Amino acid sequence: MPEFPTPETFSFSPSFQELAIDRTIVERDLGYRKGPPPEIVRQLIDEILPEVPLRLAIQCGFRILPPDLFSLTESGIECGDVHISTGPIIASQLKKSTTAALFVSTAGPLLEQWSHQLMAEADMMKGYLVDAIGSEVADRASEWLEKRIAERVTPRGWTITNRYCPGYCDWPVTDQQKLFSFFPPDFCGISLTPSSLMIPIKSLSGIIGLGPNVKRGAFQCSICELKDCFRRVDESELAAEQR
Amino acid sequence: MNEILESLQRCVERGKVNIKSPYPPDMKGQDGTDELARKALEAGIAPQDILSKALIVGMQKVGVRFRNKEIFVPDVLMAAKAMAAAMEHLKPFFKSDELKHKGTIVIGTVLGDLHDIGKKLVSMVIEGSGWEVVDLGTDVSPDKFLKAVDEHPGCVVGLSALLTTTMVNMEATVQHIKSKHPAVKVIIGGAPVTEEFAAKIGADYYSPDPQGAVEFLNTRCTPN
Repeated sequence: MPEFPTPETFSFSPSFQELAIDRTIVERDLGYRKGPPPEIVRQLIDEILPEVPLRLAIQCGFRILPPDLFSLTESGIECGDVHISTGPIIASQLKKSTTAALFVSTAGPLLEQWSHQLMAEADMMKGYLVDAIGSEVADRASEWLEKRIAERVTPRGWTITNRYCPGYCDWPVTDQQKLFSFFPPDFCGISLTPSSLMIPIKSLSGIIGLGPNVKRGAFQCSICELKDCFRRVDESELAAEQR
Repeated sequence: MNEILESLQRCVERGKVNIKSPYPPDMKGQDGTDELARKALEAGIAPQDILSKALIVGMQKVGVRFRNKEIFVPDVLMAAKAMAAAMEHLKPFFKSDELKHKGTIVIGTVLGDLHDIGKKLVSMVIEGSGWEVVDLGTDVSPDKFLKAVDEHPGCVVGLSALLTTTMVNMEATVQHIKSKHPAVKVIIGGAPVTEEFAAKIGADYYSPDPQGAVEFLNTRCTPN
């Protein structure tokens, strides 16, 4: 089996249609899991969604770290002389990984500009909905990318872990600087501010463990300590949704 | 309670802005906060009663339901819009000092952080509880916060951050403000922030939701 072409990065520009975002998904993101939102919210989402593809510049990409330079520690991973401190919670989820894929995804800058413009025009509701859709686009682009990564390792009999992002589960956002050091400058059009904020804001970065013996966790919120996170879902709620 | 005030309170809770608004469907064709606030004033109801017995009560119920996850951000935004429509009628009374805010809060997202929406939501709920909100925006330096505190004696300060990297700038901001104004109370909030962190950096309060901030302001902060 040939080795992975690890020094390379891979980038993609999936279409909005490929991300399969519809009104139901947006409603769920807004919190309406147990019942529908007010009709006016539904109408506005229906009004916004057709315009979204015109204001998107979706890009996503990944790099698989060279397995011979990769090692796991109790508090993160090492690749060559770079130590990424994911924290023990994520490190335990990555255990048994032979290597890892680092990834980024973005919705591009136009959607957030539209959201800001709407809010500046005092249309807070529409601005908020556009912002929420932007977050979902970045998230779904990561999910889309995860499938591409899985496709790449499946022929080796490998599987993948869940995605983990800086800023969650005690993984410091500052480590984003180290994570981005594995990519060319402005990879996928994303840059970092000195405070490690990704620009465009509707962007994600993270890590996925890879190997023949890694497992995907079923319920991610259970390992996260952000108890007040607005996107937090109770395990029972999730189970009810899946029934 | 007066029938108009009861209707006004219900319209804030339900987000009914005016008679033309088709939302909520079961109140279609009925007066909204816009018409009811005007009618209340025409009926001789004191502006203070309109504010404290109807609008603030309605918004408080919205804040509590939001905290309990019975309603979500869009519902709060609709309520805030209805509240704002009524407040337009009360503005002249604030200018003439017939109506007074409970106090002033200077609020902003700290240096290095551009996240705005959570802070705006908190601002709306606080404003709906009768406080004046001075929103400094995002990426606000400690100096800019201090300047605003100088300009609004007796104010409370609200700091927001969404990143673990920028929440550390809350500490510098709290210290900067308290070095000159030790009595000024500072509330902090945002996804990575915790009660322990608030205590560690010398902030006076942490609230995970807007209503918590309102309750702190109403019970523990001296009005202007």
